[in-house]
Amino acid sequence: MKKLFLLPLLVFVLGKSSKAQNTDWRDQVTNQKSLHFNVGTQGVGAEFAYGVLPKMSLRLGANIIPVSADNVFSVSGFNSNSRMSANFSNIHLLADFIPFKSAPGFRLVGGAGYFINAKGKIAVQPKDNYTYGDIVLNNEEVGNLNMNVNWRGFAPYAGIGLLKPFSNRTFNVNLDLGTYFLKQPDANITASGILSGNTSQSAQLQQNLKGYRFLPVVQLNFNFRIQ
Amino acid sequence: MKNIKKLLFVLLLLPVACKKPTEDLKIVVDTNVIKYTALIHVTDASNPEVVLKSGTLSVSGDNADDIYEISGNKQLNISNGVIAIGPGPAAVPVAGKPETYSVQVKVPGYNTATKSITFTADQKQQVINVALSKTGSVNSNPVTQKPLPVYDAVGLNFTGTCSSRPDLVIRPSMYVFFRETGSGAAYQYLGYMESGNMTVTALEKGKTYDFQVTYDGQNYGTTQQINNESESLTINMGSAICNNF
Repeated sequence: MKKLFLLPLLVFVLGKSSKAQNTDWRDQVTNQKSLHFNVGTQGVGAEFAYGVLPKMSLRLGANIIPVSADNVFSVSGFNSNSRMSANFSNIHLLADFIPFKSAPGFRLVGGAGYFINAKGKIAVQPKDNYTYGDIVLNNEEVGNLNMNVNWRGFAPYAGIGLLKPFSNRTFNVNLDLGTYFLKQPDANITASGILSGNTSQSAQLQQNLKGYRFLPVVQLNFNFRIQ
Repeated sequence: MKNIKKLLFVLLLLPVACKKPTEDLKIVVDTNVIKYTALIHVTDASNPEVVLKSGTLSVSGDNADDIYEISGNKQLNISNGVIAIGPGPAAVPVAGKPETYSVQVKVPGYNTATKSITFTADQKQQVINVALSKTGSVNSNPVTQKPLPVYDAVGLNFTGTCSSRPDLVIRPSMYVFFRETGSGAAYQYLGYMESGNMTVTALEKGKTYDFQVTYDGQNYGTTQQINNESESLTINMGSAICNNF
C-alpha cells in the first residue's frame, strides 16, 4: 500500500523541481537535442537525444560492458578456480514519454536494443594436481570446463526515467531505471581432458539459464545540450 | 572490489527463476587416463570354467616402472582371473617405437607363466589369454575361448556412480565381462567400453545379464535385462575410482 503513495509523491517532487525553472515544459522537449554519456549496469555508452514531439523524445545510442570476476561460482566437489566473464554491447533506440504535465522530470521509457555481443562465460580450472591411483595428473590431463552463454539478438526495453530529459542549461544529469528482456540464451559446455564428458550436460545448463533474460539497467546519464 | 564485481553480476543478469546456473549439474569424469591397455585373462588350462580367485602380476622390461593397473595403481593384483594394465600418460607408445614388457603371472596352486606384451601406437586395447596349469602338471592344452553368440547389435551405455559422491558421474573405460543371470557360468569377455559406451552383438533381447568390470583387484557389477537397441546401465564404481576425485 505504501508503494501506491510513493509514485504520486515522486511525481509531485519531480514536477515541483521542474516547474521552478520552466514555465512551458513542452518547449523544453520539442526539437531539443543533446548528447548523453552514461554509466551504469550496462556499462558505459553514449546517446544522441532529440525531442520529436511535445511529450516525446528519441534516443539512439550504444553501450558496452566487459566485466570479469574470479571465483564468483564454485562447483561442488571440484577443487577449482573459476573465472566468470561477461561481454555485452548493444545499439538501442529508446523513446522517452512524459506522461504528466505536472511532472516533466518523470518519463516512461520504451524501446529496443540489438545486442551485437551478449556473452557470458564461466571457466573452471582445477586448482591442484589430481591423482588417478598412483598417477599424478597435470592440469592439461585433468582439463578444464567452460560454460558458455549467448543472448545475442533483439531485446525490448521498458523502464522509467527520473529527472528532465533536456535542460535550459548546457549540462544536466538524469537517471534511467529499467530492464532489457533478452532472448532465451543459447548455453553449452565445452570441456577437455578427463572432464570432456561434461559436454553432455549442456542441455541441463540451458535449462538452468532459460530464466536469465532480464538485464536490469540502472544508469546515470550526463547530458550536454546541443545548441 | 570483489564484492562490487559480484553485485555487478547479480544486477547484470537478474534471474527470474532464481535458479543457480550450476543447479543439478554434476562433475563428469572419464577414467581413460591409461589409454593403451592390455587385458590379461587368466584361466585354468584344464577347465576354463574354474574361476581363479586371486593372483599377482609382475612386470619387467626397460620401462616397467611406467606400467600401472587400469585404475592407476602400482599394485598388480589379479581378481577373478582378470587384470588390465598399461603404460601411464607419461609413457604412451609412439609410432614406430613399440614398448615390449614381460609379465609374470602367479596364482597360488598353479605354475607361474610368463608372457610378452607389446604396446604399439596403433593398438589401444588388446587381450592376452593365459592358461595356467596346476602345480605339478604340464599344460598341453592350447587356450581356447568359448565363442560369443551373435545377435542384433545392442548399445550399452554405462554410467558410473559413487555412493559417497552423488555429485560425481564416472564414464568408465574398462574391459567388460558378462554372463546370463542365474546361469552360474563363469564370466566371459564381452568387450571394451570407451567412456561408458560399447556396442555388442553377444546379447539376446529379452534375456537378463550380469555385467562385471574388474580393477584394483576388485569386481564391480550390475544386472540388466536387454529389451532395446540401446540400454543404459548404472554401475557403482567403488572407492578405488571414486576416491581419486
